[in-house]
Amino acid sequence: MKLYTGTGDRGKTSLFSGERVLKSHLRIEAYGDLDELNSIVGALIASLPVQYSQVIEELQQVQSDLFTISALLATSSDSPSMDAIEEITPVQIERLESTIDRMQEELPKLHGFILPGGHISASWSHLARTVCRRSERRTVRLLEEIFPTRIPNSYQQALTYVNRLSDYFFALARYCNYITGVPEKLWKK
Amino acid sequence: MESKTAKYTTTILERCWLSKITYELILTKPPFFDFSPGQRINLIYSSSQREYSLASSPSDSNLILCIRLVAGGIFSPELCNLPSNTRLQFTGPHGYFTFKPSSRPAIFVATGTGVAPFCSMVRSGIAGYTLLHGVQTPEELYYADVFRSSAARYVPCLSGSDRTSEEYFKGRVSDYLLNQLPPDLYDFYLCGRAEMIRDVTFLVDDILPGSFIYTELFY
Repeated sequence: MKLYTGTGDRGKTSLFSGERVLKSHLRIEAYGDLDELNSIVGALIASLPVQYSQVIEELQQVQSDLFTISALLATSSDSPSMDAIEEITPVQIERLESTIDRMQEELPKLHGFILPGGHISASWSHLARTVCRRSERRTVRLLEEIFPTRIPNSYQQALTYVNRLSDYFFALARYCNYITGVPEKLWKK
Repeated sequence: MESKTAKYTTTILERCWLSKITYELILTKPPFFDFSPGQRINLIYSSSQREYSLASSPSDSNLILCIRLVAGGIFSPELCNLPSNTRLQFTGPHGYFTFKPSSRPAIFVATGTGVAPFCSMVRSGIAGYTLLHGVQTPEELYYADVFRSSAARYVPCLSGSDRTSEEYFKGRVSDYLLNQLPPDLYDFYLCGRAEMIRDVTFLVDDILPGSFIYTELFY
């Protein structure tokens, strides 16, 4: 089957809800960043030694969650297409939080800023963290524009998830260095 | 958003030829299988598989697929020779090409067997739409009766026939859109070949901006 139709050749694309918009539209920027993040998570998974299957499974769940958020951002809130859209639930946010807490319990206490890097998996996780923060900034801009007075709950949940996800990637970066035996490097002024 | 899909077993009941190269494959409907009009299934037999839109309504007792026999195709020639009572498997339902009610008039645009999802929608009660069905010859205008009885406008577009008749628009679906459709904001539902989807999308961008477009790529 052909992968391409060429309908985007002139700089426009279709939202899931059917509108034709420029590819520079804030929605496209927002879910494009999530797509970039998702791909980095894929690289992170590929860099992890296979014995860390629990972390890999957690990351694959994160990838699915990112698709859920991307679909939400690709759909106008007043569209009938919203019927097909799933929402991020408090359960998914709590799952991230409990994973962060679990890693934190194992990790040595942090006494300063650490330099992003170390094991390849930790490096990917740091990159994921920074792209996640950019995604969050872009999502906030989008939500400010489309909901100037009050952000609906489904979008608020997505925003909370993305905020928590950055924390998760920070904890995971440290955890990857910890489990692979790569020492963390502290910032020296 | 990803649809939760399961694997089902089905049996071929009948094959009804709609034209020399297109037939309806009628399959048993497994218990607990449900779908929305416009969705498709991934049909599996032996080591071959292919996605087909359902042409039946969810309330019909059987599943109906509209299949074009493609010489040298990966699945349709093999499928064409399977006898009744052959067991097949499928996953689904897949896709989001479903009808979204709105205040804008709906324009369905199909090429060839791309009418299948529209057939499912119409058999489920959707009416008052415009349907442009692009085919090469009048023999390929299957389901014409189904559409004529429920469409606000049913426009068969013949691109490969020299026959002239008031019943048909002579030309491609994009020619009709360019020359005949009054300016307005519409909801376009496009199902068919990539070239048609691209041409119609560009036309809508150029002459009917602000309209909505939903697409389903057939091959």
